[in-house]
Amino acid sequence: MSLTNHQRLVLALGLIALGFVVACSGPAARGPVAGKKIFSQQCADCHGDHGQGVEGKYKDALYGDWALPQLTRYIAKNMPDDHPASLSATEAGTVATYVYEAFYSRAAQVRNHPARVELAHLTNRQYAVTVADLLRQFAEPDAPAPTSQGLNATYYSTAVRGRFDATKITHTGIDAELNFTFTAGSEARRRAGGTADFSVQWRGAITADETGDYEFVVRTPNSVRAWINSEPVEPVLDINVSTPENPDHRVTLRLLGGRSYPIGIDYWALPEKAGSPVTPALALRWKPPRGSERPIPARNLLPATPKPTFVVTTRFPADDSSQGYERSISVSKAWDEATTNAAFEVANHVVKKIDRFAGTRPADAARAQKIEAFAAKFVAAAFRRPLAADETQRIVTDLLRAAPEEAAGLRRVVLLALKSPQFLYVGLPAANSEDMRTAARLSFALWDSAPDRELAQAAAAGRLRTRAEIAAQASRLLADPRAPAKLREFFFHWLQLRFVDDLRKDATLYPDFTPELVDDLRTSLGLFVDGVVWSEASDFRELLRADYLVANERLAKFYGLPPPPPGEFARVATPAGQRAGVLTHPYLLAALSYKTSSSPIHRGVFLTRSIVGRALKPPPMAQVFDEASFEPGMTMREKVVRLTRSENCQGCHAVINPLGFSLEWYDATGRFRTEENGRPIDAASDYVVDENEKMRFGSARDVAEFAIASEHANHAFIEQLFHHLVKQPLMAYGPDTIVDLRNSFIASGYNLKKLMADIATLSALPGARPALSAVTPPHSP
Amino acid sequence: MTSMHRREFIRQAGLSAAVLPFIVGLPSLALAAPARPRQRLIVIFSPNGTIPPAFWPDEVGRDFALKPILTPLASFKDRLLLLQGVSNKVRGDGDGHMRGMSCLLTGIELLPGNIQGGGKSIPAGWASGISIDQEIKNFFQRSETTRTRFGSLEFGVGVQDRADPWTRMSYAGSGQPVAPISDPYQMHEKIYGQMKDRESLRSVLDPLKAELARVRQMISAEDRRVLEEHEVLVRQLEREIADHASQTLREGPPVIERGVADQNDNVPRLSRMQIDLLVNSFVNDMARVATLQYTKSVGGARMNWLDITDGHHGLSHEPDTDLVAQAKLIKINTWFAGEVRYLADKLAATPEPGGDGSMLDHTLIVWTNELGKGNTHTLDNLPFLLLGGGFGFAMGRALKFEKIPHNRLHLALAHAVGHRLTTFGKAELCSGGPLALS
Repeated sequence: MSLTNHQRLVLALGLIALGFVVACSGPAARGPVAGKKIFSQQCADCHGDHGQGVEGKYKDALYGDWALPQLTRYIAKNMPDDHPASLSATEAGTVATYVYEAFYSRAAQVRNHPARVELAHLTNRQYAVTVADLLRQFAEPDAPAPTSQGLNATYYSTAVRGRFDATKITHTGIDAELNFTFTAGSEARRRAGGTADFSVQWRGAITADETGDYEFVVRTPNSVRAWINSEPVEPVLDINVSTPENPDHRVTLRLLGGRSYPIGIDYWALPEKAGSPVTPALALRWKPPRGSERPIPARNLLPATPKPTFVVTTRFPADDSSQGYERSISVSKAWDEATTNAAFEVANHVVKKIDRFAGTRPADAARAQKIEAFAAKFVAAAFRRPLAADETQRIVTDLLRAAPEEAAGLRRVVLLALKSPQFLYVGLPAANSEDMRTAARLSFALWDSAPDRELAQAAAAGRLRTRAEIAAQASRLLADPRAPAKLREFFFHWLQLRFVDDLRKDATLYPDFTPELVDDLRTSLGLFVDGVVWSEASDFRELLRADYLVANERLAKFYGLPPPPPGEFARVATPAGQRAGVLTHPYLLAALSYKTSSSPIHRGVFLTRSIVGRALKPPPMAQVFDEASFEPGMTMREKVVRLTRSENCQGCHAVINPLGFSLEWYDATGRFRTEENGRPIDAASDYVVDENEKMRFGSARDVAEFAIASEHANHAFIEQLFHHLVKQPLMAYGPDTIVDLRNSFIASGYNLKKLMADIATLSALPGARPALSAVTPPHSP
Repeated sequence: MTSMHRREFIRQAGLSAAVLPFIVGLPSLALAAPARPRQRLIVIFSPNGTIPPAFWPDEVGRDFALKPILTPLASFKDRLLLLQGVSNKVRGDGDGHMRGMSCLLTGIELLPGNIQGGGKSIPAGWASGISIDQEIKNFFQRSETTRTRFGSLEFGVGVQDRADPWTRMSYAGSGQPVAPISDPYQMHEKIYGQMKDRESLRSVLDPLKAELARVRQMISAEDRRVLEEHEVLVRQLEREIADHASQTLREGPPVIERGVADQNDNVPRLSRMQIDLLVNSFVNDMARVATLQYTKSVGGARMNWLDITDGHHGLSHEPDTDLVAQAKLIKINTWFAGEVRYLADKLAATPEPGGDGSMLDHTLIVWTNELGKGNTHTLDNLPFLLLGGGFGFAMGRALKFEKIPHNRLHLALAHAVGHRLTTFGKAELCSGGPLALS
């Protein structure tokens, strides 16, 4: 989503008002028969017998969140469309009540469309993560990651390509960033012994913040061999020949976010001959997904030695996001083909390393048995439960026996396992595996992956039945890096910042707002959110209230803040009252802006939907925001007021605008300002909470405090988090679940980790779902 | 990474990703007689120069006698074209072997780089332009009527796993060497892997359908809808595979010997395996251009199978007066000629699919070398031998030129397939235009 690109702005106009939310306090029913009669006589022609809409007349279904009195007033004044105001007050009240109770209200919607837990297959993220973990479990676990940064380096005073001479080591240590020019006499050259030829080995790990394609660039005019997420014998770059004019050697690899991958670089610099254009140099750079190319920062390099992770590269069709979260409740030809291609990718990988996976070797007399044993283990892991004897026979033994040789047989077993519904669908029933289903629901909720060994063992031992047992496992799962990896996507999704492609601003107005700065902003937001969520307090309120930014030197300079320690991202205090957590994070503010100015409407729509949790239907009409139509010198607020002043617009903009105006303290780059075009910022306005209540909002902080206290806003946040974790409708878990979750959330001091654990536990519980408070006593804040 | 390559191919071929990967892979096998007779090009490389007196005929014209090295090709004498006096005149950075190899098919200088050659040469990098085999491949691939699945296939024999200007003669463009595949099993997988995939997939469809049916019984009626749709998709896949099975290759994949390691002493077996694969890929119209590279420039193969235990490159440095070395080098080059003959025999024995004559009538073999002579490292008089047909050249002749740039030969090859380039490689070396060979 890049709004800054758009020269047009879509404004909500006219009938959208019907779809607008306020509160739900339904009056007692009266005269349903009479109401239904009026509706079918006067309304059904355009709206359909059940308010479902009529193509060519009024096609949208009638539902929304207005309270009954507002709906009544609207109908009395505007309906029917061809004779507005022709209904008597009693008639309007009767038909409004009927509409409200039959299909308009949320309660009616829930009643008419009862939510249920539907059969779902793996989402694309779940597929990739599950496959990675499935193969990973057959390797030794990694040692705990060190907290230090950089790569281990060994320098040698000689260069023979393909070799390193251990007797010629001149220096060992850690290099934080790999960006060297080895000119004669330089410190870097001195470390290599100052000799005419030299070589260096770098070893360690690289961490990926986000999932996606990373383009790695090794820039050198010399010889280099690099492996990234592969074994040393499988280099991803093996460059003997370089040319100074084009020293960049590139390779693109798909990586899963929140994980570490092995990296190794062997580098040889031969003596520069007279006339040679070569000056020895080496830089390790990357272009992360949605980022610009730059040296790999030290914070993404570790002196660790993780094992490679298999990352599937097959592209799947996008998951269904029509409900506001990704889920997979339908199948398509494209999806089925993707599952075939991905299964081949996995099968080919497994077969290529058949002896390693099966713990055998070509000359092993027991090789066939070992491969069969491995195949059975693989299928059980893929199915996330023990296999019954007849399954082992069908899926493993029969296929292996029918194949011409072991490798072909194993390829077929892997193909069948990964094409099977038991792998592709989450939570299928199977005899004697109710506990394993519980385990899978829990691990998918928190990791998007299958249960690990400990969770599977707990399930197998029958220690995953009570709420307390499940909650204890949920806490353990939350401490694994796979949980933050999943949750980071949620927070970017919540802030509508997952797919920001173009944040460029007007280069004349904001010359220092560079692609590098944009990358830093995304990093800053990620670090801020991670810092809050995974801290001890894990306090949701801090996300909305924090008065600091996580910044590096470049960000601090641009936003006029005190400098953090060199080369690092750190918390930097902001002047009192200027910032309120994510709401004023410059990455978000810049994304919700034009190239030259702020956009109160985009900001207001975002706050309306994501933060205060009110629904907006898509606007039925679009209106161009034409800068040229305003007199010079008008403030952005004045322009928006003029553009949205009609009564039709005000149905929604009475809510959107005050929220958007509260962020007028920030320009198109998210910089704090006190004036615009020489005129003081006016951010204050009255926000209509409901029929009876207005609130004065003058800053992001006012919005934050409102969102923290508002039940409606809390519910909206909890529902979004629930959907992201569980990928099933919250309503399917009972009408009171959201209330229970909120009570527990507030009682825990808005503890996000507690909320995630509650959600995961609740969704994993087999069978009936008793009230949450029964077994998870609220913490006192 | 295999799947990436596959996708990459599909993208380049302009086919929809929806047909991945089981639909693609087989050429259009109707192989009806093409509007224009098929033309194919094979470039064979052997290293370290030839022994000129044992290679070049004394006579010029149609009436010439074959010298010892070419005796294995006696039966093809009237289909040979020997081009004496063709020189690699590209100069610049890099040593003679490097330029000999990397400028052989590109006809253009090497980029500046970090590879230090012999003597006092300036270090250099890859060639700065496309090679003629790739140029012609691209030309073929641009047209619907000449496009094939791969366009070109690059075979190696004993090249060794090393990448430098001494080991690469094919270039997709400036600084973009194309690595030959020396492992016949890897080549087999590249050409026929998809058929194996289809076979694997077909073999799991019945058990898969059984699993789906079994699971469908265990879930609620509401959820069953999804699984039923899933089952429809699997049946669809089954039909597609069956449709494919009815399309058969003109000639099945060759049965290649198992477990032949990529080692010096296996070079004779590897050579025949690669040639078998090459001819088979042409029969099935997988490609119209191929290269077959024996070892590399400065290649030091020890031809124990000829009872020669010295390395080839070391021998090639011995002076003309070392008659023992000369005899060994003649034996080595004669062996290479024998491999060329094996290929020519196979092509001659295979009828042109859907066309007239044999495949050799539609295939031109160009056998060459990076040096004219090993012990002088000259880039003059490169041993260019053409064999076969289809390019409109008047064969059965020995021609003699006066140090003309080899760029003009490349132009002649391009023109012969209808690709009317005005220059190829270094433009200054193209004056006079394509060599007149018809």
